[in-house]
Amino acid sequence: MKRLLIVLLIIGVVSVGFAADGTEQGCILEEPVAVTSAGQSPGALQFTIVAKMIKLEYTFEKLLSVETVDISQFKTLVLVVGASGKGLGAANIDIEAEILRVKSLAEAAEESGVKVVICNLEGESRRGPSSDRIVTELAPFADAYFVKADADLDGFFTSFSEEAGVPLATFEKTVDLKDVLAEYFCK
Amino acid sequence: MKKVVLLVTLIAFAFTASFATVTAPTVASSNGMVAAVNNYAAEVGAKILEMGGNAVDAAIAVSFALGVVEPYASGLGGEGYAVITMADGSKFAIDFRSAAPMAASYESLSELGLTLSKANYTPKGACVPGVLAGIKEAWLLGATLPLADLIQPAIDLARNGFIVDETFAQTTSDKYELVLENGFDFLNEGFVWEAGSVFTNPQLAETLERIKEEGIDTFYTGSLADEIEEFMIEVGGFMRKSDLEMYGAIVREPLHGTYRGYDLYVPHPPVSGPQFIAVLNTLENYNLPAMSWDDPLAVHIIQQALVLGDVDRRAYISDPEFYDLPYEAFMSKEYAKTRFMAIDLSQAFDPASYYDYQGNAYPFADGSSYEEVLLEALESVAANESGVEESPSTTHFSIVDKDGNAVAWTQTISSFFGTSVYFKGFFFNNEMYNFASSYRDWDIINLTGGMRPRTTICPTIIQKDGKVRWVIGTPGGGRIISTMVQLAVDLIDFNMPVDQAIRTPKFVGYTTYKDLRIEEGYPQTTLDFLEKVLGHQLNVYSYPDLFFGGPNLVSVEENGLMIGAGSIRRGGSASAPEF
Repeated sequence: MKRLLIVLLIIGVVSVGFAADGTEQGCILEEPVAVTSAGQSPGALQFTIVAKMIKLEYTFEKLLSVETVDISQFKTLVLVVGASGKGLGAANIDIEAEILRVKSLAEAAEESGVKVVICNLEGESRRGPSSDRIVTELAPFADAYFVKADADLDGFFTSFSEEAGVPLATFEKTVDLKDVLAEYFCK
Repeated sequence: MKKVVLLVTLIAFAFTASFATVTAPTVASSNGMVAAVNNYAAEVGAKILEMGGNAVDAAIAVSFALGVVEPYASGLGGEGYAVITMADGSKFAIDFRSAAPMAASYESLSELGLTLSKANYTPKGACVPGVLAGIKEAWLLGATLPLADLIQPAIDLARNGFIVDETFAQTTSDKYELVLENGFDFLNEGFVWEAGSVFTNPQLAETLERIKEEGIDTFYTGSLADEIEEFMIEVGGFMRKSDLEMYGAIVREPLHGTYRGYDLYVPHPPVSGPQFIAVLNTLENYNLPAMSWDDPLAVHIIQQALVLGDVDRRAYISDPEFYDLPYEAFMSKEYAKTRFMAIDLSQAFDPASYYDYQGNAYPFADGSSYEEVLLEALESVAANESGVEESPSTTHFSIVDKDGNAVAWTQTISSFFGTSVYFKGFFFNNEMYNFASSYRDWDIINLTGGMRPRTTICPTIIQKDGKVRWVIGTPGGGRIISTMVQLAVDLIDFNMPVDQAIRTPKFVGYTTYKDLRIEEGYPQTTLDFLEKVLGHQLNVYSYPDLFFGGPNLVSVEENGLMIGAGSIRRGGSASAPEF
């Protein structure tokens, strides 16, 4: 009973997020899903933990690129945004090259009819100038935004969502993303 | 409901812990002082002082508590070094550095297709932990309270939880991939711990309870040792119960040096006490008090002395149980004069030739003067470089009690999260990586079973006329001695209070770095002078940056007032009992 109550509460929180944005939709995304980082923070890897929870069919590569993968084999591309100096350093890539990589992926996805999701999984801590720049560069390709609520306190993602008329789903805790994924992928 | 209960418990614990103590980034008190990298840990120490414990009691409690609140930086799987000076004049240096398991060797790694580097984040990267053995020796030497009372605050923290701070969250995020692979149980259901969330560690609480009930020996010779062996066999580590059984902390008298009339008590090798003294001896030949902290010439002199000290460290510091090296000559005033002569006041060393400046301390071992030695013009010894890039992990705390007993204690699991191999609520260290990457005939840090690897940590107590004046120390990997020397110069030559000495922007002199890494905050004229006139290649870091360490200091003023200051680079705190 207690568990049911918690689940209902979580769904309520997520639903409020949808309703507030006026973008309540279901089953707009399909599998298989390509997941990559946009900025090399740990967010993309955390996305895969959630994806496993709902048994989403996905492929994850931190440095997925148009040179190494045919993006048209996927139905959805998830770009998990989070610029990390340490992560970029460990991957031996600078921010300019990283932006070029993810923009090329997004362009290729758009050309192939693959839906593009921009995701912020780490909240406010990934709202620095570099992370915001990545979002701004990718915004023209976005078909949906999945955003941790505290990353949108200033309406940064809301404004992109409203301008382009694409849905924005917010969630309070990282684990709550699974409800968003379940909703969008009809899992 | 469970969360509400947890929150209420947490608030109650926080209230209890702070009932008779005051905790803040900088605190003044005459009742005793604890400065540590984390407010919960500092408060635990102050509470022990408030209960009537002395500095050693408080240090033991803080050591346990830090393993709970900063499990990524130190803990039961780690090691360290402590320097203790008691009010009765007795002084102790406790070496609880970890030791290589007997089965560890270049050959055994090679047979498995591994190198030290490849083994770094695996169970094979772990050395035999020493922190509990160090605690035991400290307790036997100077504690007054039952060990059970000193463990209990850590058990409470592990069981009831505490609020995750920015450092905890950031560190977990930085090493998420590694921890996800090896230490899943540490994570928040697979996710990083976010600042503001409540972290509990029931596994560690249970392990600490066992140590409390069965005694520290359970880790080295008892049932916990059996379980460690079982685990290591299962995951493919080198460590066995026999390694734990033969391990022991080593108690010595601290090494002694002086700087402008102050007495410094520092660790023996394989820790960097001699290097710290050697650099200060070199600096003593300059009139630094006539300069200011941001004078480019002062920065140049200190940085060049640090580079020389680091070149020499690589030749003269290793495990003294395995190598007979002239580290006492290295820290002599006479040898320092030769290093003073090597520094060019108008030009920085060429980083490509750092090892050309290797000094020869051997002739000074018999007490010869620098005139005698240089006239004889002896040949120099070969330099060596392990090339290890050390992380800013580790943790240091400083304690002085109302009676004047003092403890400087630095503990670590090497890199943040150590090997990332998680066992019963703690991480095993990755100290093995501090040995030379491969066997070299001339090297003094070749991997050898039972040997303790070299490190830069340097907990230090500074006295004036027999009384404690400052207790200092810092984490920071290869930056430790740079930060330590700057702290000593800032306190002694520039008369800074401890909080200002911590805040002052730092720089590094370290042979691994071919540039001069310096924190923002120096005047542009200073930076221009260093670059354009003296020929340093600058690498300016934002301010404050954890890269430069996280010192936590205590000063004792002439009137007996103690001032504690926590690191601004890692959210440190000072805490004092109110009585």
